[in-house]
Amino acid sequence: MAVRTPHFPDLLFGSAARLRRWEGALMGLLEAHGYRELHPSLVLREAVPEGALRFFDGDELVALRWDFTVALAGLLARSFPTPPDRVAYAGAVFRRPVQPWEAVERFEVGCERIQPEGEPAAEADVELARMLMAIPGLLGLKSAILHLGNAALVRRPLEAEGLFGELAYAVVAALSRRAPHRVREALDGHPSAKRLSAHAEALLSELDGPGTLAALEASPYASLLEEERSHMDRALKALLPILPPNLELRVDLADVAGLDFYTGPTLRLWAPGAQQELAAGGRYDRLFPGLGRPWQAAGFCVRLSRLLDLAATRPDLFEEQGVSPSNR
Amino acid sequence: MTHSTLLIAFPKGRLGDELVPKLAGTPLALDAAALKSRVLRIPTATPGVAALLLKGADLPRYVAAGVASLGIVGSDTLDEMDMDLLELADLGFGACRLSLCAKAGVTLDVLRTRPHLRLATKFPKATEAWLTREGLTAELVPLSSSAELAPLLGLADAIVDLVQTGGTLKAHGLVETAVLGRSSARLVAARGAYLSEPGRIRPLADMLLGALKTKA
Repeated sequence: MAVRTPHFPDLLFGSAARLRRWEGALMGLLEAHGYRELHPSLVLREAVPEGALRFFDGDELVALRWDFTVALAGLLARSFPTPPDRVAYAGAVFRRPVQPWEAVERFEVGCERIQPEGEPAAEADVELARMLMAIPGLLGLKSAILHLGNAALVRRPLEAEGLFGELAYAVVAALSRRAPHRVREALDGHPSAKRLSAHAEALLSELDGPGTLAALEASPYASLLEEERSHMDRALKALLPILPPNLELRVDLADVAGLDFYTGPTLRLWAPGAQQELAAGGRYDRLFPGLGRPWQAAGFCVRLSRLLDLAATRPDLFEEQGVSPSNR
Repeated sequence: MTHSTLLIAFPKGRLGDELVPKLAGTPLALDAAALKSRVLRIPTATPGVAALLLKGADLPRYVAAGVASLGIVGSDTLDEMDMDLLELADLGFGACRLSLCAKAGVTLDVLRTRPHLRLATKFPKATEAWLTREGLTAELVPLSSSAELAPLLGLADAIVDLVQTGGTLKAHGLVETAVLGRSSARLVAARGAYLSEPGRIRPLADMLLGALKTKA
């Protein structure tokens, strides 16, 4: 059993300066693309999930802000009859970590691109990917990898097979482990076992550049997923010509992280050798309709706390200016 | 340790005893002299790749934290620990059953009638899941070794443990009364290393799979 002590990091001079500098640079990038800052309150009064830091304000149970997207969605749905199209945020969230080495207090910068339902979304997805591509250079990372995925590649076949609940969860967990043999085990005896196992093999067969999309041809759901494939193809065609030096683009067909939230394209930024993704995002079109607003949205979040940890433990991954020893 | 050295975590004990001969003569063969010493970090026949010899229960932590890029561990341990790891392949060897075992003559039906069933095990999570499926409740007695003694000395009514040949059970007068699941060796990878450096980790995983296939 993991032994945990709550970890609330104090930032010393070097890290504090780096946080301030990175936050400024990222917010500058977002502002240059038309994103305006919203600052939801640090105290949330919505239904408090497990893992949030809760306390009583008089008789009322409240929590420290545990997620910017949720906080912003509440704020936007309450305060705006039509959505502002581009929103940015910066600050801390407080959440008990899944991994014992993660801090409870985490610093983030991110953005949300919101549109009325039914508007073409492809441009917005590419806009977010282009901004994310600029971030490694902005933060002084020597090299980085951007993974493009699409939650619908797993979600739609599961829905088409009528697979929900525990069984769907077991399939997603197996895909998350990149374990096709676990998919077969989980579906043993189910009518869709052969088709979904073949689909899992196709999704897990490659983790590479644009050619990876061809692996979908081997899936029994190739025609069901034609729209997603062509969306990813168009995104790659738009992004590859403007790929900055030292940034690698990879297609991860089996990206299922956050599948209960994401509905379409997903983005994840890694640095070679980093143990955790440094930024993540994607399309989540079901959030606002759930709050009574007919809006669709996508966004990403840069995990500054992970970047600060990486700068401390792997300064070799950064240009010297970013994390010189005197700066720590 | 330099960042350029790739570490693979290999299990000590039963799985390790099966694994090490399979690697002999392959690019991932372990250095024989180092193996005979008490050293736990062993060079392999491939420069820049070293092996760590670890107990099964510790091994997933080394891989999950990214200290070792790859590892080989039993699926029983993986299921029990539920660490955030990638599980790239079922290697097939080290196959065994996770079974409910009791003294000869004590059947599952007999155990069902016990008003206060006590089960000794190293596998509480798998045991709890099986009890739920069976609609049973029991007191779990956590043990880390020699579970076979528990029914003989009255510490528990039965045990849930791994059974490979059944020899140890027989030696203690125990028999399998139910099979809860099956286990085999799995190739695991650190999520971060695999996703952030697939160009380094995938070839190593392929090398390991190739070495084990050659010797299958």
